[in-house]
Amino acid sequence: MSLESSFESSLAASQALHLPRAGRQAPPPEAAASAPGLSRGALAGLLRFAGLLALLAVVAFFAVRVPSFLTPGNIGLILSQSAVLGILGLGLTLVLITGGSDVIRGGIDLSLAGTLGLAAAVFATLNQAGYGDAACVAATLATGLAVGALNALSVTWLRILPLLATLAVMNICAGLELVLTENTTVPAAAPLIDALNLAGPFDLPVIGLVLVAAWLVLAVTLRFTPVGLRAYAVGGHPEAARAAGIALNRYVAGSYIVAGLLGGVAGILSVAFLNAATSGSADMLLPVIATAFLGRMFSRRLVPSVTGTLLAAVFLGALANGFQLLHVSSYWVNGIEGALILAVVGVTSGLAQRGARP
Amino acid sequence: MRGLVKTFGPTRALDGASLTVAPGTVHGLVGQNGAGKSTLIKVLAGLVAPDAGDIEVGGTPLGPLTPRRAEELGIAFIHQDRLLVPTATVGEALFLGQERLGSRHGLWRGRLERRAAGLLDRFFGISLPKGALIQDLTTAQQQIVQITRALLADPKIIVFDEPTASLSRREVDHLFDAIGQLKAHGLTSIYISHYLAEIERICDAVTVMRNGRDVAHVDPRTTGTAEITRLMVDRDVKDLFPRHNATPGAPALSVSGLAAPPAFRDVSFTLHRGEVLGLTGLLGSGAKELVRSLFGLSPARAGRIEVDGRPVRLGSPGAAVRQAIAMVPEDRRAQGVALALGMRENMTLASLPAFSRFGFIDRARERLRVSQLIDELKIKTSGPEAAVRTLSGGNQQKVVIAKWLARQSRIYVLDEPTVGVDVAAKAEIYRLIARLAEQGAAILLLSADLDELLGVSDRILVMYRGELVSEHIPSETTSAQLLAASVSGTRAEDTAHVA
Amino acid sequence: MSLDILDSRRTAAPDLLRFGVPLALALVLVVFSLLAPGFLTLSNIVGVLVNNVALAAIVSIAMTLTVASGGTDLSVGTAVDLGSLAFVSTIIAGQPVWIAALIGVLAGVGTGLFNALLIAGLSITPFLATLGTLFIGHSLQQLTTDGGNPVYVPTGSIPPALAFIGHGSVLGVPLALWLVAVLAIGAWLLLAKSRFGREVLAVGTEPQVALYSGLPVRAVLAFIYIASAAIASIAGILISANVNAYVPYSGNAYLLNSIGAAFIGTSLSRTRRANIPGTLLGVLLLGFVSNGLLLIGWNFYWQQVGSGLLIFLALLLAFTGRRDTA
Repeated sequence: MSLESSFESSLAASQALHLPRAGRQAPPPEAAASAPGLSRGALAGLLRFAGLLALLAVVAFFAVRVPSFLTPGNIGLILSQSAVLGILGLGLTLVLITGGSDVIRGGIDLSLAGTLGLAAAVFATLNQAGYGDAACVAATLATGLAVGALNALSVTWLRILPLLATLAVMNICAGLELVLTENTTVPAAAPLIDALNLAGPFDLPVIGLVLVAAWLVLAVTLRFTPVGLRAYAVGGHPEAARAAGIALNRYVAGSYIVAGLLGGVAGILSVAFLNAATSGSADMLLPVIATAFLGRMFSRRLVPSVTGTLLAAVFLGALANGFQLLHVSSYWVNGIEGALILAVVGVTSGLAQRGARP
Repeated sequence: MRGLVKTFGPTRALDGASLTVAPGTVHGLVGQNGAGKSTLIKVLAGLVAPDAGDIEVGGTPLGPLTPRRAEELGIAFIHQDRLLVPTATVGEALFLGQERLGSRHGLWRGRLERRAAGLLDRFFGISLPKGALIQDLTTAQQQIVQITRALLADPKIIVFDEPTASLSRREVDHLFDAIGQLKAHGLTSIYISHYLAEIERICDAVTVMRNGRDVAHVDPRTTGTAEITRLMVDRDVKDLFPRHNATPGAPALSVSGLAAPPAFRDVSFTLHRGEVLGLTGLLGSGAKELVRSLFGLSPARAGRIEVDGRPVRLGSPGAAVRQAIAMVPEDRRAQGVALALGMRENMTLASLPAFSRFGFIDRARERLRVSQLIDELKIKTSGPEAAVRTLSGGNQQKVVIAKWLARQSRIYVLDEPTVGVDVAAKAEIYRLIARLAEQGAAILLLSADLDELLGVSDRILVMYRGELVSEHIPSETTSAQLLAASVSGTRAEDTAHVA
Repeated sequence: MSLDILDSRRTAAPDLLRFGVPLALALVLVVFSLLAPGFLTLSNIVGVLVNNVALAAIVSIAMTLTVASGGTDLSVGTAVDLGSLAFVSTIIAGQPVWIAALIGVLAGVGTGLFNALLIAGLSITPFLATLGTLFIGHSLQQLTTDGGNPVYVPTGSIPPALAFIGHGSVLGVPLALWLVAVLAIGAWLLLAKSRFGREVLAVGTEPQVALYSGLPVRAVLAFIYIASAAIASIAGILISANVNAYVPYSGNAYLLNSIGAAFIGTSLSRTRRANIPGTLLGVLLLGFVSNGLLLIGWNFYWQQVGSGLLIFLALLLAFTGRRDTA
């Protein structure tokens, strides 16, 4: 049934013709009414599996070429190699969820890699100074929270563009890290570190399990409490969220704070993984961004999601690991990541243009 | 609501308007655009504070309303804007912010969807594709979700602001059934619509507004739509439209067999110098797309376009501008004027080559021309450097026209040029159109305001379902005939009995 | 229901804020000249300009172009590096320095062309498009340098022209500063005075209006990203000439400060537009602060913290009273 037929009964004054203003071209009436988003839905449906298919293809390829790829030991290795990146990616994902997908005006946290470095430095320095695990962990997590709170304050209260605010905070973090470590590698040894490096249940290293646990907590919170629903609304359509009585700033601030906390956790994991706090955490920034954006490809709705980010982190980890096993130069990894980002963004922006907003 | 007055700057949006709604009824509110309906509703929503007048609910006078207070009183609003998260599912969008209503004891997504499906079926008798996202739905389906959302809050008074503008007939029937049920439960509805047949069908009483005032209170069962229409129309309106006294000259733009399926096909017409050619059509008629293709925004796929007798290709807006074609877009604030820029920068944007020497901009020449244009068009501003943001809607529209005058455009494509400007500014824009025609410009005016088309055009074309269906001479045509052609594609001789 | 009545609150920031950055710079100069006796000497100032400011300024000028067009170029560092790589490789291959410089700039143009293709051609957001380029550039450098080993021009065969680019002066002023001056004036003329600059302004602030005014939006964007990368590659050539080598990934060090400088610079404009004088002030501010902190005995590490805080304060200044960004 066409849109006009409803008008046929309504012969009235000239004003009857005043129609709602369409920002974009209106779809032709036939298509709009008869096929409720079918063609678009089918295309999107295919793409929704593209990410997963790519992951499976990569795994299958490596599994065939390298027999040792799918052994529990190697899977554990991939998981623990992805842990730091994955945890930071989860943090950025939260910020992207509440901030919306516009990179310049929307949410972004460039300070995450800096938080990681600072947190690791705090942990290792305190450890060297002879403090116990509990004190080290508490101080490290507090550091992460403080950085997150500073970001949250800048973005919500001071209303600085997230891109710039977190850029400045990143510089501050990097500086403080250098102050603590004096640009040297600070070794650390503690019962906690040993425990994290042990193999836990299913023969998986505890570091990897921390990543899985963090994902589980976030995924359950986002899926089974109203928080998730509202956080996506805040980022996806702020006016709709405000109209539904949701306090936007609280969600935006919360995402930066939790991201900071995850930065602290990542700091502890990175010290455990390397048995030291090392410089060079800033190099993590771009892979973290790549992970969170790649994660969209694993989401049914092509939005940032914690599950997608976990898969993306594992995907990138598997890629690097597989190349290593195949003795392919690791130099390709960055290039492939770059190409993947461009492919994902190209596809999603193409879809977004098609899937016009109401 | 009694004796409400609200002025915005020089505009008197409400001029002693009153609205009395009996409890448990469906009350219609009709009027032309700019009659004050939407301001009245904003007052009721607490979004706008009236300068004078009072509001009573159930006989108790209320202080100034705030959005929160309105909500507490159980007043719900259903707007044309759909405030739904595009990437949410139906259930998620429906229960956002009130998740407990959808799923108690924890949030279970499946439960949300089932409950949403149940509600949609109960209120409107429709079922949406399982797991569909809001962005996958048609605008009509989104509208239904939005209405259902408002019903969740268990309101006492529901204000429907043009709720059926994008609904199909079956959906409209369901909506009316639902409104009938609301009435049976003792709820009060205020129903705003341009479609008088709908008003006649569901309203118990109707208030007609004109020029910021309530001019009549009628019973739709005893008063016909023709009479209501007469009440809505402002008799002074005739003075609005100055006739230009140019005689159409040589063809400026001629189009033959133009097509861009599925939006429009086989469109042929000729626009002459010194002529104002009106164009109208419903949403989806292809009129909008036709106008866009003439400015190179979404190029036509087949057909021939000639400017001054020479065949041209309009593949991009730049190509159109090179052919001296000007565009005044409907969305003035996003596409017409650059709010972030000043007057000078706006007015010379389409004609920068004329204001530059060796690639550099000659600001003195710019300023001179811009000052001339400001005087010529009587734009109320502090000077060439003033921010366009601070101007009124009508003055902003003049800035857009000035941009094309600076370009010395000869063909003007105007897309709803008077949307959202007040009556005085409208009159000025009409005078401007007449003057352009007298200076030999060719003007294509797309408008949904039929009075406007009849008032300023030399000829009017009507589009229906992608085709040009009829051509009208204003002096021999009534707005009812134009409307009939737009809604049914026929050239009805006598429309009084068609309904 | 449209709420356009309610958003009339957008008021321009008070003009006082425009003097925030110049004032901060003046304050920095005064405070450090009081605290550190060696600060306000000619040799120190020239040293700061040549060592801390010149290269950062060139990269920041490139960044300003893209910020003015409404985007960012995260791959400026890649263009720096690829320019440097192409330059050094050509010299090692025995070609004259001027040909090597040309090839270096062409490498920058190539990087820019790739960005332009993604942004203007495929309509990918500049931030993500240039992020992708950055990653691919990183791989490219790893592959060509066997994982990031510097490529040296053999010490015995350093052409005199190379030494001149790296360390020479004209009329007593180091060549690098001449280059900064030429690029800055050129970019300033382009952005503030030329017809093209007006088009960039329109595309950067109101892309829709630019399109509806018949401006060639895609071509403008394409040119901006090509120009940005070409300018950045000049910085790469300077770096190589300075150290007689190509050092992989050295360009990325300039990325964050160039974004900071460009945005700090916007506070200088009444309408908060990216502008060359503002960017240069931003670069000077950052350069003098790190130098001053060094002179009063702060080590390199605390300088980082100091400059981070400074950028933060500058942003605070730039964004105070700005309510329309949400």
